[in-house]
Amino acid sequence: MKNRLRVLRAERNWSQADLAERLEVSRQSVNAIETGKFDPSLPLAFKLARLFETTIEDLFSDEI
Amino acid sequence: MVCASNSPAMKRYNNRFIAAMLVYVAFLCPAVWLFSHHPPTGLVAYLIAVLPAIPIVAGLAVAGIYLGEEKDEFQRTIFVQSMLWSIGATLTVTTVWGFLEHFLQVAHLELYLLFPMFWFFVGISSLILKARYR
Repeated sequence: MKNRLRVLRAERNWSQADLAERLEVSRQSVNAIETGKFDPSLPLAFKLARLFETTIEDLFSDEI
Repeated sequence: MVCASNSPAMKRYNNRFIAAMLVYVAFLCPAVWLFSHHPPTGLVAYLIAVLPAIPIVAGLAVAGIYLGEEKDEFQRTIFVQSMLWSIGATLTVTTVWGFLEHFLQVAHLELYLLFPMFWFFVGISSLILKARYR
């Protein structure tokens, strides 16, 4: 699934490790989500949306 | 199988798994010695023969506990996928070997080797999956 994580993370000058720490997950998890190789669960998607003060729809896109 | 990860759940899993394997060795060595030097009989023989299997089965329980404790869903997914790939690989190898044994009388594969084989394939699968998601 496509997402805007990398852009939003860059805007805040956060590394993948910084984001992983805030989400309480591993850096590999952040990388896998960011590169679209792993789709997060709904609770984690909500956590991401809250962290970036946006909506899930704004973060993720199901367009191919 | 012992895994390299920083999560507290994985550290607990590693410690528990190592403990189970130490108990396994502690049960297996005396059992092997006893059956080669003073073979027990009756119910005691059955109990001693089964004893090394208990920590091996505990290894599976430890994996189940890890899946319940791990908060990182991606790491959980990797672990579950590794186990699924390993089940497939173990079943494939044992089925093929079974037919080879049946038709060609190749060396007999002892059933107690299936567990180490299963964890070996979990390790290989885990490495491949982690490389894929890197």
